[in-house]
Amino acid sequence: MSSSRDDFGIAFRSALLQKGAAQKFSLIFLIIIASLIFFLDTYKFSIMKPMRSIINDGIYRISLVVSMPTKFFPSLSNEFTSLIKIKSENERLKKELEIYKAKELDVNYLSNQNKNLKQFIDSDETLTDENIIVAKVLLDKDSPYLKSIIINRGSQAGVLKGMPVLDKDYLIGRVVETNYLSSRVLLLNDLNSRIPVTFSSDNTQAILKGNGGNRPILEYLPEGYEIEEGLNVFTSGKDQIFLPGTPIGMTNEDGGVDLFTDSNQLSYVKINLSRINKENF
Amino acid sequence: MLNNNLTSKFLNFGPIILLYFLSISEVDASFENYFEILSFNLQLIIIYFWVLKRPAILGNGHIFFAGLINDVVMGYPLAISSLTYLSVSFVATYIKNMSVNTTLISDWFTFLIALLVSNLLFGILASYFSQIEIGLNEISYNTLFTLLFFPLFWFIFSAYNSILRVGKNV
Repeated sequence: MSSSRDDFGIAFRSALLQKGAAQKFSLIFLIIIASLIFFLDTYKFSIMKPMRSIINDGIYRISLVVSMPTKFFPSLSNEFTSLIKIKSENERLKKELEIYKAKELDVNYLSNQNKNLKQFIDSDETLTDENIIVAKVLLDKDSPYLKSIIINRGSQAGVLKGMPVLDKDYLIGRVVETNYLSSRVLLLNDLNSRIPVTFSSDNTQAILKGNGGNRPILEYLPEGYEIEEGLNVFTSGKDQIFLPGTPIGMTNEDGGVDLFTDSNQLSYVKINLSRINKENF
Repeated sequence: MLNNNLTSKFLNFGPIILLYFLSISEVDASFENYFEILSFNLQLIIIYFWVLKRPAILGNGHIFFAGLINDVVMGYPLAISSLTYLSVSFVATYIKNMSVNTTLISDWFTFLIALLVSNLLFGILASYFSQIEIGLNEISYNTLFTLLFFPLFWFIFSAYNSILRVGKNV
């Protein structure tokens, strides 16, 4: 019994303290260093911010170069697939075009209504070209836990934490981390994402919460409210971060929201610099 | 002879190169577009297998740095992956110290312990010490699929291990 406990102790100590020709550092030393870095970073010690910014910029650039060969084959495959799909898609688009033509009248009506509503909530400012910058997506590594992308614009270009990020005119997320030359964008489908939204003709207010999957969900709806399918969801602007009326997606039969933009297909995004003068968060 | 030595040295770097490549590149083992819950952590399998079978070619320092790089690329709090990788390395080293001969089944079972320790550590650190929210379901599915894929990579790495000459485990 005692011998078995001794064996356990020896193996345990050896695993933690052992060094050798290939093991320059003992495990316990590296665990202590890692713990120290983790707590310094988590509790945002001032020394970590510039250090992390430099490390991030460096590693994102290296990562971009390393990922280049792996991007070539998927893009080739995508081109081939899209060529095959193009015919059926053309047919579908023709049908959709007919539907959209029919909807044009509705859009005119809604545009007028939107203008009136903007005047009503005193937010009739429009974006100018100087307020929008275009950024390239450097990395969109798919993590099982976090849904985010890295873009090639950082604090040098005026990007601040909390700024909304768009694909075409659709909201895709917000900036959560800025470095000098790059930034991280938290996508709407991430578990940590919360966006105040409005939808339906009676301007129902809700919070769009990412669920880690492809379809974010609506929370904090009025009591007993049942979500109809096919309603357009827009930012409400109540957080004073996002411009009100930015389209996000459409409600589906499960009570979630189908986003207008596929976050896996992003190449270039737009950042709206107009709203924020200081960092949010 | 010189050529053979160079090839042999290059082959020895294989696991380290793969570990760094997976950490720094866009390549990932997340297949949510094909099957919503399918994702697994290949880095943990690499670390566990090579620390257990041939620790001389995968040093703890490399494991630590690969974890740091992975955190930067993934956007996790710095060093959280290093800690989880090192916990896997610790379990593997402990098992190596305690056992003489291992089989796929024994490796698979002990890998489950390493996996539970590392993912539990990741979950606790992410949930209680950082501001990021991480779903328990995602961690559970990731753990399950990493465990399920272990035997496949065990065979692949065993085949690779058989062509390596230096640093043979004793």
